[in-house]
Amino acid sequence: MSNIENGTFSSYLRNPSLFDEIYDENGSIKMVYQKLFDHFGSHTVKDFVQLNNKAKASFFNQGITFQVYGENETKEKIFPFDLFPRIIDAKEWDIIERGSIQRSKALNLFLWDIYHEKKIIKQGIVPMELISSSNNYLHQMIDLDPPGGIYNHISGTDIIKHSDGKFYVLEDNIRCPSGVSYVISNRTALKRALFGVFNHYLTYTVTDYAENLLDLLESVKPKGVDNPVCVVITPGMYNSAFFEHSYLAKSMGIELVQGSDLFVENDFVYMKTIRGPIKVDVIYRRIDDLFLDPLEFKPDSALGVPGLFAAYLKGNVTLANAPGTGVADDKAVYTYMPEIIKYYLDEEPILNNVKTYHCSRPEELKYVLDHIEELVIKPVDEAGGYGISIGNTLTASEIEKVKAQIKETPRKYVAQPILSLSVHPTYIEQSESFEQRHIDLRTFTVLGKDKEFVLKGGLTRVALKKGNLIVNSSQGGGSKDTWVLKN
Amino acid sequence: MLARVANNLFWMGRYIERSEHIARYLNVNYFSSLDASNTLSQSRQFVLRSMLFLVGEKIEDPNTILNEEEVLYKIGLNPDSPHSILNNIKNARENANSARDLISTELYESLNKFYHFSLNYPVDTFVKNGLYDFTTNITEMSSVLRGKIRDTLLHDEVYAIIMMGMNIERATQITRIINSKYNDALKAQMDCGQELGKSFEWTTLLKCTESYDMMRRFYKKTPTSISTLEFLILNPKCPRSVMSSLNQVYHHILLLDTNKYYNKSSTAFLVGKVRCEYQYKHIEEIEGDIKAFIENILESLNQVSIKMEKEFFNY
Repeated sequence: MSNIENGTFSSYLRNPSLFDEIYDENGSIKMVYQKLFDHFGSHTVKDFVQLNNKAKASFFNQGITFQVYGENETKEKIFPFDLFPRIIDAKEWDIIERGSIQRSKALNLFLWDIYHEKKIIKQGIVPMELISSSNNYLHQMIDLDPPGGIYNHISGTDIIKHSDGKFYVLEDNIRCPSGVSYVISNRTALKRALFGVFNHYLTYTVTDYAENLLDLLESVKPKGVDNPVCVVITPGMYNSAFFEHSYLAKSMGIELVQGSDLFVENDFVYMKTIRGPIKVDVIYRRIDDLFLDPLEFKPDSALGVPGLFAAYLKGNVTLANAPGTGVADDKAVYTYMPEIIKYYLDEEPILNNVKTYHCSRPEELKYVLDHIEELVIKPVDEAGGYGISIGNTLTASEIEKVKAQIKETPRKYVAQPILSLSVHPTYIEQSESFEQRHIDLRTFTVLGKDKEFVLKGGLTRVALKKGNLIVNSSQGGGSKDTWVLKN
Repeated sequence: MLARVANNLFWMGRYIERSEHIARYLNVNYFSSLDASNTLSQSRQFVLRSMLFLVGEKIEDPNTILNEEEVLYKIGLNPDSPHSILNNIKNARENANSARDLISTELYESLNKFYHFSLNYPVDTFVKNGLYDFTTNITEMSSVLRGKIRDTLLHDEVYAIIMMGMNIERATQITRIINSKYNDALKAQMDCGQELGKSFEWTTLLKCTESYDMMRRFYKKTPTSISTLEFLILNPKCPRSVMSSLNQVYHHILLLDTNKYYNKSSTAFLVGKVRCEYQYKHIEEIEGDIKAFIENILESLNQVSIKMEKEFFNY
């Protein structure tokens, strides 16, 4: 096993019970990682400290930061970025790409169905409560035909590799999934810090996302419009994802608007420009359903546009994603994904679903309460990794607390076996060395009228705290540049 | 372009320009006073008063004793004083942030560096011995920004709006600096009987506007009140002059207003009118009543700004 002798990695502690992405089953470095591994081996510890600082400066100067709200002053922080890229070979990528498209399509058909005939419910494949008890089912969307027949134009699919080496989907995000700008800025930062390594690999570019997204937005224009005016709407510059919003608008070459820049007249939407009003046809919205239109949803929302929903109902403007998609990325719907895929596409799921226990079902609730130590408990309607409890990390009194919470509102919780996310060497600032950390992958799928596209790369998120399984940035996660190799 | 964003870009331009003028004013006044030709101009109290006067804080009471470090902190790095250089840069960046999709990555990165530089500049160093270093850096970084604006933005309406903001601000600041130094020259005249027309303050004024060398080339003589004012107000070849700034404003408003017909309520019409007024003025008319001139030009610039707001930023 001469191929793992390497200065930089001589102190790399490898836990054999974890699935490490860079080793094969014999404990040798995987072929695809070999060159990278050798390249890194030629650097000293000091080099990495320097490179790490260089990469960090690149993010600060580009202003790729998010705000952390403190007592006196809001501080700017960068999203931690790791120097060691993750590599996905063509074969693995093929599974991920096909699987992501399959899920997006199935979810789109599911949404159409539950806002129209509801066949899947009538035929008893999924229960009625899935809709009737969901806060995210918008009755305003019933019988509405979104332009191009598309609801989830942009989907983010969170995928992990378990210790069995298979891919599992943890979550579908089809409201306003974020993170795609980090895919692109991670690539930029890695190029600035470690350009040498790119010479050895044929990697797909990630900069074609914007043009594909714009093509998509134009493909779902309202009827009767020739050259649609597309805009991105943001809650404003104090939103934590504002960098992403401005990046997307800039790279598509379209306007980035706030609610106050738009107004509705006779059910058409206009933006206020220096030359007067200009009609807007397609809105890529990065604000949540309930804030879109104070006349229809939250009356005190200042982020949205009064009358926007009425214009949408008339078919005069397209919203991407469509309102009401939140009902389908609910963690309860997730558990029916294999059935949903089978029902609409007549296909077997390409990506696995994690076995999920519904606390709303008495027999499953009993199992969950009896086996909390082996399970992850998740609230069904929270995003960002909030409210998750991991059974084997809880103390006895915490377990009792979680049990009480579940018993109080069973519908609010689902439980899954604790999956062992694969690990990847990750540069750790404190120890100035590479250590194993758990990772996942968010893919970005664009679904248009007769068009589908998965960004060849995706966002690899890494849990920087040792042993931690939650990778969300709000919970101290970082990210890695992700290379998808050409054949 | 969105009206809100246009407004942001306009103000980004203004704030960049403003921070530069204040920084240079501090720098030049402080350092030229050290070996000034008369005792009043050499007096630290006199210089500190002049600095405060520029940012709109006139100290009327002659018995007030100013503390140098406090004054420098207030105008330079105090995050709580609205006119500080730090706040001007902060405002420039805030405005750029909300128009981030429209400006180039290069411009944004430079502005961002500029902001981090001033935010992280140690206050103690600044008030004790960093005045030269800090203000020189500010003026140089604003030159870099001007370069990025000119060379990395499409010369379309986005550019035109920024240039309008910068040039309106430049004309305003130059006028304010003239006012401030004119005020100093009057004081020097009263205090030490120095003849107003030949005051040392005119040289300082030219240096404050980076126009001393240009002026020497043009007149080949020691600056007097008449030649200095003529140069800084009326000479279209001096890029810092009020006239040159008005020409720039006029040039850029035409990029925004493509209307070929006579429209007396437009900004373009007003700018053209103001510009013509100064194009056909001669220095003797101004010199007779500098105070009236200063009030007049500041009012005209203000009117242009208000008109722009109505015509383009009204949202």
